[in-house]
Amino acid sequence: MPPEQPLVLIVEDDSHLRQYLTTTLRSHGFDVAEATTWEEGKRLALGLTPDVMLLDLGLPDGDGLSLARELRAVSRIPIIVVSARGREEDKVLALDMGADDYITKPFGSSELLARIRVALRHAADLSAPAPMVVEVGSLRMDFASREVSLEQKPVRLTRNEFDLLAVLIRHAGQVITNGQLLQEVWGDSAKAHATYVRVYMRSLRKKLEADPTRPRLLLTELGIGYRLKPDLD
Amino acid sequence: MPCRPSLDPSGTKPGEDDAAAGTVRKARFMVPVDGRPGCSGLIRATCRMAEARGAAWIGVHLDGPRPLISSRAEERRLSDNLLLTEELGADLIRLSPRTRNEARELLTLARTHQVTHLVLGRVESNWRTRLAGSVLEDLSRGDLELIIHVVPTQPSAAPPAPAPVRPEALDLGNLGIAIGFVALATGVGFLVFHYLGLADVIMLYMLCITAAATQFGRWPTLIASVLSILALDFCFIEPRYTFVLTDIQHIGTFAMMLGVGWVILGLAERIRAQTRLAQNQERHTRTLYRLGKVLAEGGSVAAIQQRVVPFLRQELDLPVALLLCDAKGRLPVPVGPGLRLEAEELEVARAVMERGVPVGHGTECFTQSPCLMLPMPGTERPLGVLGLWFTPGAGAMPASRLDLLIPLASQIALALERASLAEDRTEARIQAEHEQLRSTLLSSISHDLRTPLGTITGATTTLLNPGPQSAPGDPKVLLGTILQESRRLLRMVNNLLDITRLESGLVQAKKEWAAIEEVVGSALSHLEEQLGARPVSVELPEIWVPMDPVLMEQALINLLDNAIKFSPPGSAIEVRGWVEGDRFRLSVADEGPGLPPGEEELIFEKLYRGTGRPVTPGAGLGLAICKGIAQAHGGTITARTRPQGGAQIVIALPMDGISPELNPDFNP
Repeated sequence: MPPEQPLVLIVEDDSHLRQYLTTTLRSHGFDVAEATTWEEGKRLALGLTPDVMLLDLGLPDGDGLSLARELRAVSRIPIIVVSARGREEDKVLALDMGADDYITKPFGSSELLARIRVALRHAADLSAPAPMVVEVGSLRMDFASREVSLEQKPVRLTRNEFDLLAVLIRHAGQVITNGQLLQEVWGDSAKAHATYVRVYMRSLRKKLEADPTRPRLLLTELGIGYRLKPDLD
Repeated sequence: MPCRPSLDPSGTKPGEDDAAAGTVRKARFMVPVDGRPGCSGLIRATCRMAEARGAAWIGVHLDGPRPLISSRAEERRLSDNLLLTEELGADLIRLSPRTRNEARELLTLARTHQVTHLVLGRVESNWRTRLAGSVLEDLSRGDLELIIHVVPTQPSAAPPAPAPVRPEALDLGNLGIAIGFVALATGVGFLVFHYLGLADVIMLYMLCITAAATQFGRWPTLIASVLSILALDFCFIEPRYTFVLTDIQHIGTFAMMLGVGWVILGLAERIRAQTRLAQNQERHTRTLYRLGKVLAEGGSVAAIQQRVVPFLRQELDLPVALLLCDAKGRLPVPVGPGLRLEAEELEVARAVMERGVPVGHGTECFTQSPCLMLPMPGTERPLGVLGLWFTPGAGAMPASRLDLLIPLASQIALALERASLAEDRTEARIQAEHEQLRSTLLSSISHDLRTPLGTITGATTTLLNPGPQSAPGDPKVLLGTILQESRRLLRMVNNLLDITRLESGLVQAKKEWAAIEEVVGSALSHLEEQLGARPVSVELPEIWVPMDPVLMEQALINLLDNAIKFSPPGSAIEVRGWVEGDRFRLSVADEGPGLPPGEEELIFEKLYRGTGRPVTPGAGLGLAICKGIAQAHGGTITARTRPQGGAQIVIALPMDGISPELNPDFNP
């Protein structure tokens, strides 16, 4: 098997879901390693150094959250949490503990592949120096001159709006929790509140979206955070 | 209590009585019940005799005016004895005698009630019996075939001394007026003495003695009589202005004056006693009537308890508590505001439960306790205890009070029992309805879950074993079906989980200042596929609304899903938000057929499926979930058919109820 194929580690106790994931990922050109328990997952994650890890939160012998935290302390492996609906708190917790993204069961293969690609690209970006100009679709951000343009038209942003958009665009395609946004933009010193994020999000949308109720760029993940829509395809 | 078997003057031995009666009449005992000492012994003896023969027995109380010389101790004994008679299982007959001949009354009663045995106490010979003759003598002159048992009675030693009975208080005011009468008579006497003569002056004094006797009672009358005699002697009888009596005839006059005073006093006292009795009875009747009205309002056990306790407190002017048994018939240790039972009081309450008789203040048991507890007997088990607290040192409770309290407690017990039975019935009905709903839910769910599963299974097996003539496009069609059905299944499972969580109260709206366009936008993006090319017009104010965005998104998804299901493909859907008063209103409207009249409320009921609509899949939970979410926010949900057509469902959320620290109006 050629070594350039990315390796995906699946930590999932349900054999059917595992089989579906394995089949789908193999057919799309990924190498797959499988783990069914917390212990095995940790061992393989550290031993095989996979490129992406799919982590189920409900493992028979331990909490997926703690595995994400332990791995993040020693490794930069992108972790995508696989979780059931209605566990928004768990998702936020996992993301704040270092998981890179999440996907809700049940999910289709295109959604899964998109998440994996975003995670892989983001991991690749981390090893390179941060570019001074980032473009997503028709949105262009120049970090040196702090200029933003949409469809070649300049957009005037306040400092906080620019910083907020910067965090989202550097993680394009990945969900960023409200807590992470607050931390990145306002830092520890600000007695910031999640409402701040929503207030700036509203003004950003007014400047960047034609219809704020049908956003094409700044997507809301209710109860979790925001995601900038990537231009993968 | 010491009590020997009957001393039977007829000579028959116990056990031979029925044979001696020589008839087929069933033995029936009767005992007069009064307040004489030793009567309780008589009652117990009668009970034993009747029980030994397996006979019924009745107690008779001739409820006339009390004798002239009656003490409160006697009244109290009477009340105890009446109670005892009932407790021992006798029928108690109380009646007002038509004549003063006790014997004749007893004989008449014995005849009408077919009594075979009469039990009497041996009366100690005293001046009254010597004068009037004993009842026994009168009875023996009667013509009824009756076995008379004469039981030697002794004043009982067992009952503890009742709380000290205060002597009739000397009313100084009345005494003063009585003395004033005498002074007035003396004054008038001086004025008229010269014109009229001694006889008229004596009449004046008689007048004032009569007045005192009718108005004021024993002591003022006595003193007025003595003073009148002294004044008459001193002022008008020769030799005047001395107390010396020369004419022996005047002693007769004095005796007559005393005698008249005494007789009138007796009459007046009897009338007063009767009036008191009548007033007491009237008061009791009124109280019972008012209680009846209070109880007739019905309601739950708790509601009755809440109404009865203040009513009794006001009516009796005493602290009152209703202690109710739990389902196991045990008296729980009461907890509640203003209700603290001392250890002794609890003991009293338990004694009441065990014996089923009043215990505490003014009874034979725990007499010294300030509280009196009355049993509240139910038909199957005791319902509890009615407790009354008397002010310590206020003296004994009048015996007549207990006569009122016992029926009071029984009446309350009856009402409570009725209410508790009604509650049981209601609970059973709710349980049945719950069962009914559950079985409907189960059958509906099993149908709605099996249908898509059937499709998926069928399509998959066809894919695995395609027929010999399958078209090349078939797999794609079948796979599309599987995907659609899976999504339908998912929606249903999600709905079921949502409704379960909402109904169990596990879901609480975590309100925050939400940007309404984010919530609407997120809901729309979830339904992107179902919406397809449908035009959706969105009109929202740029405001912050306190809500749980995740829950509201679910509600919106359900509303939009509903609009998609119940309107023609390609027709427009309208989402609108506005503030009206202190409410934020969010409406989803479609261009479908609207709601059949009368179904505007029903559609939010669980499992309700519209009657006039095409049958559509779904477990009928979507709108019930919306209602649950609106309610979790303290809001409401309403539906109507718009004038221009199409259904409109509006969720109204309160704009308050969020802490000010979350206020988004801050300076960036």
